Amino acid sequence: MDPVRILKQIWRWFDDLTGFSQSLGPIMAHPVPKARKTRWFYVFGSATLIAFLVQVVTGIALSSAYVTGSGQAYDSLCFITSSPIGRIIRGIHYFGASAMIILIGLHTIRVYLMGAYKYPRQMNWLTGAGLLLFTLLMAFTGQLLRWDQMGFWTAVVAAEQAGRAPLIGNWLGHFLLAGNTVGGATLSRFFAAHVFFLPALMFLFIAVHLYLVIFNGISEPPKAGRPVDPRTYRRWYHSLLEREGIPFWPQAAWRDVLFGSIVVLAIFVLALVVGPPELGKPPDPTIISASPRPDWYFMWYFALLSLIPKWSERWVIILGPLVFGLFLILVPLLGSRGERSPLRRPWSILIILSVVFVIAHYWVVGIRAPWSPRLDALPLPSSVVGVADGPIAAGARVFYDKGCEYCHTISGYGGIRGPDLSDAGDRMSAAQMATRIFSGGENMPSYRGNLKPEELASLLAFLASRHRVQLPTPPALQGLARQEAAHGR
Amino acid sequence: MQTFFFIAFPYIALILAIGVGLYRYFSHRFTYSSLSSQLLENRHLFWGSVSWHYGITLILVAHVLPWLFPRAAAAVLGDATRLFVLELTGLALGFYCVFGIIVLIARRLPNDSRARAVTSPMDWILLLVLAFQVLSGVGIALFERWGSAWYLSTAVPWLWSLVRLHPDASTVTGLPVFIQSHLISGFVVVLLFPFTRLVHIFAIPIEYLWRPYQVVIWNRDPRQPVSSTLTTSTTVSMPTPPAPNHLDRRRLLVRFSILAGSVSAAIVGIPSIAFLLGLRKAPEVWRGLGAADSFQIGQAVEVSFLDSSPLPWSGVTARTAAWLRRESPEQFIAFAINCTHLGCPVRWLPNADLFMCPCHGGVFYKDGTVASGPPPKALVTYPVRVRDGMVEILTSPLPITSV
Repeated sequence: MDPVRILKQIWRWFDDLTGFSQSLGPIMAHPVPKARKTRWFYVFGSATLIAFLVQVVTGIALSSAYVTGSGQAYDSLCFITSSPIGRIIRGIHYFGASAMIILIGLHTIRVYLMGAYKYPRQMNWLTGAGLLLFTLLMAFTGQLLRWDQMGFWTAVVAAEQAGRAPLIGNWLGHFLLAGNTVGGATLSRFFAAHVFFLPALMFLFIAVHLYLVIFNGISEPPKAGRPVDPRTYRRWYHSLLEREGIPFWPQAAWRDVLFGSIVVLAIFVLALVVGPPELGKPPDPTIISASPRPDWYFMWYFALLSLIPKWSERWVIILGPLVFGLFLILVPLLGSRGERSPLRRPWSILIILSVVFVIAHYWVVGIRAPWSPRLDALPLPSSVVGVADGPIAAGARVFYDKGCEYCHTISGYGGIRGPDLSDAGDRMSAAQMATRIFSGGENMPSYRGNLKPEELASLLAFLASRHRVQLPTPPALQGLARQEAAHGR
Repeated sequence: MQTFFFIAFPYIALILAIGVGLYRYFSHRFTYSSLSSQLLENRHLFWGSVSWHYGITLILVAHVLPWLFPRAAAAVLGDATRLFVLELTGLALGFYCVFGIIVLIARRLPNDSRARAVTSPMDWILLLVLAFQVLSGVGIALFERWGSAWYLSTAVPWLWSLVRLHPDASTVTGLPVFIQSHLISGFVVVLLFPFTRLVHIFAIPIEYLWRPYQVVIWNRDPRQPVSSTLTTSTTVSMPTPPAPNHLDRRRLLVRFSILAGSVSAAIVGIPSIAFLLGLRKAPEVWRGLGAADSFQIGQAVEVSFLDSSPLPWSGVTARTAAWLRRESPEQFIAFAINCTHLGCPVRWLPNADLFMCPCHGGVFYKDGTVASGPPPKALVTYPVRVRDGMVEILTSPLPITSV
């Protein structure tokens, strides 16, 4: 017999018993408005769902080998990564998380700009806001479950941030750690959140979100001068569907399928080519040479917390997320009617542009992290110092020994937290330098009592010898310098 | 059994009291009243109600205040005279209450009393429980004296452990059964709260305190009997209660289902949440760090030791680190490695005599005070001691900077 016919018969038998084509068929084929120019903007939501499913599948695969013990998780991750397929699964899970963050962000921006949260879809937006929050929490806990040194310090930093909450801060911080310190119980707590609690909430919210999409219908593309009026909207929307609606499956859904498949393919290729983030050192609290950094999706927040004024920090850590959440809740409650088109809502464009700009800017700054001292800086080579001995050479040694170089650059060596001192001799007198060294500053410790007179003298001699003209050109730039000279600069 | 009475039962009582109370408030708000029967019978009510309410209010205050401020109460009661005066006052108020509740019960007893006609089975249960509560209270005051003092070290810690979701009945399980019955019946009163007219506690018209006064002028002399013409002319037709019918049955079933569902959810949910919230309280212990003479004076070195409660699966995370410096032959100081800004591990720069944080560049002087950068306060120090030539450190919680 023809295998296709057998399959068809099995399907008919199954469908006769379950009634799926009768009950779910009309839902799949429900009419949706024609979105002419903007039809490709409607794919981000379904792509987020597809990325979520990627996470569910790879997450289950990972959990089958991951050991939820503070002492063993790291070794089990090394084991997973050592197997070629395990490495790919980890890569897919990592890039799937990144894709989900990007896609849910794009979906939120699309819905906000098109005013799709207005009547009757306020609840669509609110459940979506919940899903955005859960996605961010998943990203955070997921980074922590990569239980290497970064994961360990992520738990500490999380507890410290929670500690800034008024009144309950200390309790909340230790609640997150499940004890007095990061220890055996800590990882299990975050594992339960990442694998059971948050996904259960997400499944629930996704179910409601999709139900609402069917119940209220996909929003039609906005048109300037066609405001939403709650009294007439539903009737108008249904007449629109009757006039020019197209069945969701497959006339509209094929774009979702195509875009979703591209997303999955991109995730897979990245997982193959780039691979999962490398595991750092083991999560040993006594290895103190650690420089905790968040994953890329929270890099901008890390930068934000570093650059805001010191006095505002205690407010921003707690109020920032609250204000963001409040904004998400108030958007559909306060603006439930009126114009939907972004052309008539210029503020929405401005808000999105500024949010995107701020995040992008802080993200770039966060990668450079100019506020972090470079504790791995090496002593200045003699080519930079210029002399092998004498007070200037001794001063260069003091400059390194006293930690100046971790924050100040000399001719391309050292940190960038403080001002570049490559030409300090041109800008400051010895007295000015001594004053600054003694008194310190907002971000510079005072060295009063820390320097012996001869150390200070040689340090000042070294700094005074830093001139613009003495700047030695690194070999890589010498060609460039010659070109510039040829152009008469 | 003790676990049920002193841990499970109080929570069940509280959950029901709050849950059903809210349900009743939002669905049957007009039943939030004392269902006064003053209209029907006035004289007994005056003597019963006034004694009862004044007595029980003051006694309740005397129960709640030391619970809220146990240390202040202990300070007040530390003096024998004050304790004696308080006990005596309490006993007097207790008798006052007993008198009140007896009158209140008695006025509903006679078959022909008008108050009896409006008394529901729930009222009888409530009256009996309240009577038991005040009688057992007076009994305790008489036979288990100085309760205001031992209350602070028995029931108060237990009640607070319930509030902290970390229930611990060990301070009350050893009490005489007589006293335990007083504690349990106290929660029975809480349980009865939303099902009876007790809810009127939350309907006190306190706005009476600031509303403009009203002058009541009688149209007639209230002492004169009401003329018969007036009564006949003002006969009000009371609405007859609807006969129990299908609709009532449905409503009853819905309520029953909601109640049963909530109780089931509470039975499963409360232990789960309590387990989640229960912090592992680790005892602080001293850990050896090495011979005192193996440390150079003036240099900070990293020391590592086991934290206070290592678990078999903790692995490397059971370890903790600190910066230890020998100040003088006998004096050591230990700093937490965690920056007070966001907890990153600070590093000691031996030549510069500074601690520096790699995250946001916080810098601390060698005594732990802030030198520069974002840290809001000095490095936390851990207790250290020298015993038999060995340096020991007290394991302490991860320092969390809170506002």
